[in-house]
Amino acid sequence: MFYNKMNRFIRPLAVLAMLVGGSGAHAEGGEYGVLMKTLSNPFWGAMGMGVEEGAKAAGVPYFIQAVESDQAAESQLNVCNTMLERKPVAMITAAINSTNLLPCLKAAQDAGIKVVDLDGNLDPAILDKEGIHITFRIGSDNVAAGAQGAEFMVSQLGADAKGPVLVIEGLSGNVTGQKRAAGFAEKLAELAPGLEIVASLPGDWDRGKAASITNDILIRNPDLVGIFAANDGMALGAVESVYAAGKGGKIVIIGVDGNSDAVKSIKAGRLTASVAQLPYLVGKQAVENVKLALEGKEVPSDITVPTLVLTKEVMEAGTEPMLEFVK
Amino acid sequence: MPSRPAAAQEAGLWRRLQTASEERLHVRMESLIVLILLGVIMTVLSPYFLSVNNFLNILLATSTIGVLAIAATFVIGSGGLDLSLGSVMGLSGVVGAYVAVNMGLASVFGVLACIGAGAIAGFINGQLVTRAFVPAFIVTLGMLGLARGLALVISDGRVIYGLPDGLLYLGQGRPFGIPMPVIIFLTVALITHYILAFTRFGRYTLAIGDNENAARTAGIHVERHRLVLYTLSGALAGLAGMLFMARINSGDPTAGISYELTAITAAIIGGTNLFGGRGSILGSVIGALIMGVLQNGLNLLAVQSYYQQMAIGAVLIFAVFIDQYQIRKANKV
Repeated sequence: MFYNKMNRFIRPLAVLAMLVGGSGAHAEGGEYGVLMKTLSNPFWGAMGMGVEEGAKAAGVPYFIQAVESDQAAESQLNVCNTMLERKPVAMITAAINSTNLLPCLKAAQDAGIKVVDLDGNLDPAILDKEGIHITFRIGSDNVAAGAQGAEFMVSQLGADAKGPVLVIEGLSGNVTGQKRAAGFAEKLAELAPGLEIVASLPGDWDRGKAASITNDILIRNPDLVGIFAANDGMALGAVESVYAAGKGGKIVIIGVDGNSDAVKSIKAGRLTASVAQLPYLVGKQAVENVKLALEGKEVPSDITVPTLVLTKEVMEAGTEPMLEFVK
Repeated sequence: MPSRPAAAQEAGLWRRLQTASEERLHVRMESLIVLILLGVIMTVLSPYFLSVNNFLNILLATSTIGVLAIAATFVIGSGGLDLSLGSVMGLSGVVGAYVAVNMGLASVFGVLACIGAGAIAGFINGQLVTRAFVPAFIVTLGMLGLARGLALVISDGRVIYGLPDGLLYLGQGRPFGIPMPVIIFLTVALITHYILAFTRFGRYTLAIGDNENAARTAGIHVERHRLVLYTLSGALAGLAGMLFMARINSGDPTAGISYELTAITAAIIGGTNLFGGRGSILGSVIGALIMGVLQNGLNLLAVQSYYQQMAIGAVLIFAVFIDQYQIRKANKV
């Protein structure tokens, strides 16, 4: 009777597992393992989509895995180790931080698996020390993306504009967020010294947290002229606070990523702009380049995918060729 | 149960196995069967599952959560609660890495720093619970924030990379091909299992969880015992922090976020009563392994992690359901 109960529970689970797992379960070898952070973030979702469509177009078998959140460092390491058991020929990895996957990547390298750093999450200095040689890294230049944000803000406000600016950084200590914020700050100081960054605070990639930071700073600096957030989620949080404070349309708000929520908000005239990262293109090109590398062809060790400032005008004109890759 | 002779006989054998498992090993047989069944199912479904290497993988993946589940079993078994496990684990890893990397001290100090930092956090929890009479839920919830924040402060929000070789060996060494974290985890599990199941300390722990007043009347120094338990819980969280730190060669201030809940889940799947009075370390280890096998198997099948969370949630409810069912049946007889 106990067994019956067990069966009743296990059977649907097993069927579920087979249904879901069926799609990626080609065991003939030559598989590409793709390890993402979490697909629930539209940015990673779009990158996953690019990987999938790139793999389908190139006709290579692949399987994608992700973890429950973009802070689940150990769980990602465990998934990575499990991935090794399937003996893929290449592993395209978007590590949660610069060290969490190291033992797994080392094991992959020892097993002759090609390792790719998707979106530049690994630290070259640490990789050197660990003796890990990745095939290539691919992603956007985050410093340049921040600088593009500053250029756009100055183009909106004018080079001799004066006033306070708020910067919302990413998760404290995260390299990507730091690069974007630093790129922005540097370029802004160069182009428009009158625009003063009055606060640069970590919003932890969190929309709600960014909204409260914006609220607080608006109380201190009601004359705020610009906000730069290190991702779109936080920029959208800032938008809500700005509108709630009755300052909608008076403050230039810029995010980074170009995700679908941001696109909607820009089209609605709320978010001013987003420095779009084209994650779809990053994912697609990653697979294409892995294929080249596996065929023994030369692949650059650092592949930069350009970024694009998305504004209402750019989208309405629709002439920008890269728009196709904004998902 | 209907009184058919066959059913009665089956129940008789079943009952005998159950009693044997519970009295000799202090493990609920049901959890063991679920674990074995899961293993069989995964073997059928995935050609990659059944291998020594993959089993070591599962044990390695379970080592951190397993050690935390041991901590959770002690505290929950005594009728307490420790929500700070994950944060204290993160803090300990950072403190250990700080001592070994930034201060450049020898590996042994790194180990002591990890376990010490955890024990201190646990000691503070214990003091506040037993002397200041703040409920354990509140104290450890507060510690969850305090420890995480302190970890971020000490590390400046960054991972502290580059541990000395001695510490690295504890995370990445493989004597006889077995990963060190697995060896440490299983050794700690055996020792603590013995303590909880077969010593006076263990009996007192469960007695307090069963009925605090009765335990006090019986002459058990409840407050002192609780203080020791919270300190032990913190020290074990420190050990878990050290294991993870050594595995990834760095102290990560975000390590262990929400692990307290996973550890409590493992303990409960393994048969620990959420309100105290009953618990077994091997049970919790099996609970952690059930989750480990489930995750590993679903990963091998390339099932998205969203379904894994659903599966684990379902297993938790199922385990407690079986538990309640058995208790009600036993009470009826």
